Amino acid sequence: MITDFNLGDSFFQDFNVTEEIVNKFIELSNDKNPIHINNEVARKKGFKSRVVQGNLQNCFISFFIGECLPSKDVMILSQTIKYKNPVFLNDILSLKVKISGIFDSVNLIELSFNFKNKLGDLISIGKINIKSTK
Amino acid sequence: MMNRKDIFNKVSRIFKDVIEDENLTIKESYTSNDIPEWDSLVHIMLIVETEKKFNIKFLSSEISKWEDIGEMITAIESKI
Repeated sequence: MITDFNLGDSFFQDFNVTEEIVNKFIELSNDKNPIHINNEVARKKGFKSRVVQGNLQNCFISFFIGECLPSKDVMILSQTIKYKNPVFLNDILSLKVKISGIFDSVNLIELSFNFKNKLGDLISIGKINIKSTK
Repeated sequence: MMNRKDIFNKVSRIFKDVIEDENLTIKESYTSNDIPEWDSLVHIMLIVETEKKFNIKFLSSEISKWEDIGEMITAIESKI
Protein backbone atom coordinates (compact mmCIF):
# COMPACT_ATOMS: atom_id res chain seq x y z
CA MET A 1 0.00 0.00 0.00
CA ILE A 2 2.80 2.43 0.94
CA THR A 3 4.19 2.05 -2.59
CA ASP A 4 1.04 3.73 -3.92
CA PHE A 5 2.06 6.95 -2.14
CA ASN A 6 4.98 9.35 -2.42
CA LEU A 7 6.11 11.92 0.11
CA GLY A 8 4.97 15.38 -0.99
CA ASP A 9 2.22 14.16 -3.32
CA SER A 10 -0.84 16.40 -3.17
CA PHE A 11 -4.50 15.70 -3.91
CA PHE A 12 -7.41 18.08 -4.43
CA GLN A 13 -11.16 17.66 -4.15
CA ASP A 14 -14.03 20.17 -4.15
CA PHE A 15 -17.19 19.83 -2.07
CA ASN A 16 -20.44 21.73 -2.51
CA VAL A 17 -22.08 22.57 0.79
CA THR A 18 -25.64 22.33 -0.46
CA GLU A 19 -28.70 22.75 1.71
CA GLU A 20 -29.60 19.12 1.02
CA ILE A 21 -26.24 17.88 2.34
CA VAL A 22 -26.39 20.13 5.40
CA ASN A 23 -29.93 19.01 6.20
CA LYS A 24 -28.88 15.38 5.91
CA PHE A 25 -25.99 16.05 8.29
CA ILE A 26 -28.37 17.69 10.76
CA GLU A 27 -30.68 14.69 10.52
CA LEU A 28 -27.79 12.28 11.02
CA SER A 29 -26.02 14.13 13.82
CA ASN A 30 -29.15 15.58 15.43
CA ASP A 31 -27.13 18.76 16.05
CA LYS A 32 -29.88 21.37 15.86
CA ASN A 33 -28.13 24.12 17.78
CA PRO A 34 -29.90 27.36 16.78
CA ILE A 35 -26.74 28.81 15.27
CA HIS A 36 -26.82 25.98 12.73
CA ILE A 37 -30.48 26.19 11.75
CA ASN A 38 -31.65 29.75 12.42
CA ASN A 39 -30.37 32.68 10.37
CA GLU A 40 -31.56 35.29 12.88
CA VAL A 41 -29.76 33.65 15.77
CA ALA A 42 -26.60 33.34 13.68
CA ARG A 43 -26.78 37.02 12.67
CA LYS A 44 -27.17 38.11 16.29
CA LYS A 45 -23.97 36.26 17.02
CA GLY A 46 -22.12 38.10 14.27
CA PHE A 47 -22.37 35.66 11.36
CA LYS A 48 -23.89 36.49 7.97
CA SER A 49 -26.22 33.49 8.13
CA ARG A 50 -26.60 30.11 9.79
CA VAL A 51 -23.25 28.42 10.30
CA VAL A 52 -22.74 24.94 8.90
CA GLN A 53 -21.52 22.37 11.44
CA GLY A 54 -17.74 22.13 11.25
CA ASN A 55 -17.90 18.37 11.56
CA LEU A 56 -19.48 18.14 8.13
CA GLN A 57 -15.90 18.56 6.92
CA ASN A 58 -15.06 15.27 8.64
CA CYS A 59 -17.71 13.60 6.44
CA PHE A 60 -15.96 15.05 3.39
CA ILE A 61 -12.65 13.72 4.69
CA SER A 62 -14.21 10.30 5.23
CA PHE A 63 -15.30 10.27 1.58
CA PHE A 64 -11.91 11.49 0.40
CA ILE A 65 -9.91 8.88 2.33
CA GLY A 66 -12.28 6.06 1.47
CA GLU A 67 -12.83 6.84 -2.18
CA CYS A 68 -10.29 9.25 -3.66
CA LEU A 69 -6.80 8.05 -2.69
CA PRO A 70 -4.65 5.88 -5.00
CA SER A 71 -5.41 2.86 -2.80
CA LYS A 72 -8.69 1.89 -1.18
CA ASP A 73 -6.92 -0.49 1.17
CA VAL A 74 -6.67 2.12 3.90
CA MET A 75 -8.31 3.04 7.16
CA ILE A 76 -8.12 6.15 9.30
CA LEU A 77 -6.22 5.63 12.55
CA SER A 78 -6.44 9.15 13.90
CA GLN A 79 -7.39 12.59 12.79
CA THR A 80 -7.17 16.18 14.05
CA ILE A 81 -8.92 19.25 12.74
CA LYS A 82 -8.72 22.92 13.74
CA TYR A 83 -11.43 25.26 12.55
CA LYS A 84 -10.26 28.67 11.38
CA ASN A 85 -13.32 30.21 9.71
CA PRO A 86 -17.03 29.38 9.46
CA VAL A 87 -18.73 27.60 6.60
CA PHE A 88 -22.04 28.80 5.18
CA LEU A 89 -24.70 27.25 2.96
CA ASN A 90 -23.69 27.01 -0.70
CA ASP A 91 -19.98 27.48 0.00
CA ILE A 92 -17.71 25.40 -2.19
CA LEU A 93 -14.90 23.95 -0.11
CA SER A 94 -11.63 22.96 -1.71
CA LEU A 95 -9.79 20.23 0.11
CA LYS A 96 -6.04 19.95 -0.34
CA VAL A 97 -4.35 16.86 1.08
CA LYS A 98 -0.58 16.44 1.09
CA ILE A 99 1.41 13.38 2.07
CA SER A 100 3.56 14.75 4.88
CA GLY A 101 5.04 11.53 6.21
CA ILE A 102 5.54 7.91 5.28
CA PHE A 103 6.46 5.47 8.03
CA ASP A 104 7.15 2.07 6.49
CA SER A 105 8.06 0.48 9.81
CA VAL A 106 4.46 0.73 10.99
CA ASN A 107 2.82 0.94 7.54
CA LEU A 108 1.47 4.41 8.27
CA ILE A 109 0.99 7.46 6.10
CA GLU A 110 0.57 10.93 7.57
CA LEU A 111 -1.55 13.37 5.60
CA SER A 112 -1.78 17.13 6.18
CA PHE A 113 -4.91 18.82 4.90
CA ASN A 114 -6.71 22.10 4.65
CA PHE A 115 -10.09 23.29 3.47
CA LYS A 116 -10.44 26.69 1.79
CA ASN A 117 -13.55 28.39 0.44
CA LYS A 118 -13.74 30.00 -2.97
CA LEU A 119 -12.69 33.36 -1.49
CA GLY A 120 -9.46 31.70 -0.44
CA ASP A 121 -10.29 31.86 3.27
CA LEU A 122 -8.69 29.11 5.28
CA ILE A 123 -11.54 27.11 6.79
CA SER A 124 -9.69 24.38 8.63
CA ILE A 125 -6.40 22.55 8.89
CA GLY A 126 -5.52 19.16 10.24
CA LYS A 127 -3.73 15.87 10.03
CA ILE A 128 -4.87 12.34 9.28
CA ASN A 129 -2.97 9.13 9.93
CA ILE A 130 -3.97 6.26 7.70
CA LYS A 131 -2.91 2.62 7.72
CA SER A 132 -3.08 -0.21 5.23
CA THR A 133 -5.87 -2.73 5.57
CA LYS A 134 -4.12 -5.25 3.28
CA MET B 1 26.39 13.72 20.65
CA MET B 2 23.51 12.41 22.72
CA ASN B 3 24.26 9.95 25.45
CA ARG B 4 21.87 7.24 26.61
CA LYS B 5 20.41 9.48 29.32
CA ASP B 6 19.66 12.21 26.78
CA ILE B 7 17.95 9.66 24.54
CA PHE B 8 15.97 8.31 27.50
CA ASN B 9 14.80 11.82 28.40
CA LYS B 10 13.74 12.51 24.83
CA VAL B 11 11.91 9.18 24.64
CA SER B 12 10.23 9.97 27.95
CA ARG B 13 8.98 13.25 26.44
CA ILE B 14 7.61 11.35 23.43
CA PHE B 15 5.71 8.95 25.71
CA LYS B 16 4.21 11.89 27.66
CA ASP B 17 3.14 13.63 24.44
CA VAL B 18 1.69 10.57 22.71
CA ILE B 19 -0.13 9.30 25.79
CA GLU B 20 -1.03 12.87 26.76
CA ASP B 21 -0.05 12.43 30.39
CA GLU B 22 2.46 14.87 31.83
CA ASN B 23 2.78 12.76 34.98
CA LEU B 24 3.72 9.59 33.12
CA THR B 25 7.07 8.16 34.15
CA ILE B 26 8.87 5.42 32.28
CA LYS B 27 11.75 3.06 33.03
CA GLU B 28 14.00 1.19 30.64
CA SER B 29 12.55 -2.07 31.94
CA TYR B 30 8.95 -1.03 31.15
CA THR B 31 6.88 -2.85 28.54
CA SER B 32 3.34 -2.20 27.34
CA ASN B 33 2.19 -4.24 30.33
CA ASP B 34 3.43 -1.48 32.65
CA ILE B 35 1.61 1.37 30.89
CA PRO B 36 -2.15 0.70 30.55
CA GLU B 37 -2.60 3.35 27.85
CA TRP B 38 0.04 1.69 25.63
CA ASP B 39 -2.30 0.03 23.13
CA SER B 40 -1.73 -0.77 19.46
CA LEU B 41 -2.53 2.75 18.25
CA VAL B 42 -0.28 4.32 20.88
CA HIS B 43 2.44 1.87 19.87
CA ILE B 44 2.25 3.01 16.25
CA MET B 45 2.29 6.68 17.23
CA LEU B 46 5.26 6.13 19.58
CA ILE B 47 7.23 4.72 16.66
CA VAL B 48 6.15 7.51 14.31
CA GLU B 49 7.02 10.26 16.81
CA THR B 50 10.34 8.60 17.66
CA GLU B 51 11.28 8.41 13.97
CA LYS B 52 10.33 12.07 13.57
CA LYS B 53 12.02 13.43 16.69
CA PHE B 54 15.28 11.54 16.16
CA ASN B 55 15.14 11.76 12.35
CA ILE B 56 15.71 8.04 12.01
CA LYS B 57 13.90 5.11 10.41
CA PHE B 58 13.21 1.71 11.90
CA LEU B 59 12.49 -1.58 10.20
CA SER B 60 9.35 -3.40 11.23
CA SER B 61 11.50 -6.48 11.84
CA GLU B 62 13.61 -4.69 14.46
CA ILE B 63 10.62 -3.15 16.22
CA SER B 64 9.04 -6.55 16.71
CA LYS B 65 12.15 -7.75 18.54
CA TRP B 66 12.10 -5.05 21.24
CA GLU B 67 11.17 -6.48 24.60
CA ASP B 68 11.18 -3.25 26.58
CA ILE B 69 11.84 0.48 26.36
CA GLY B 70 15.53 -0.13 27.01
CA GLU B 71 15.82 -2.10 23.76
CA MET B 72 14.05 0.68 21.94
CA ILE B 73 16.60 3.14 23.31
CA THR B 74 19.44 0.84 22.26
CA ALA B 75 18.03 0.81 18.73
CA ILE B 76 17.83 4.61 18.69
CA GLU B 77 21.38 4.83 20.07
CA SER B 78 22.64 2.73 17.16
CA LYS B 79 21.05 5.02 14.56
CA ILE B 80 22.04 8.52 15.70
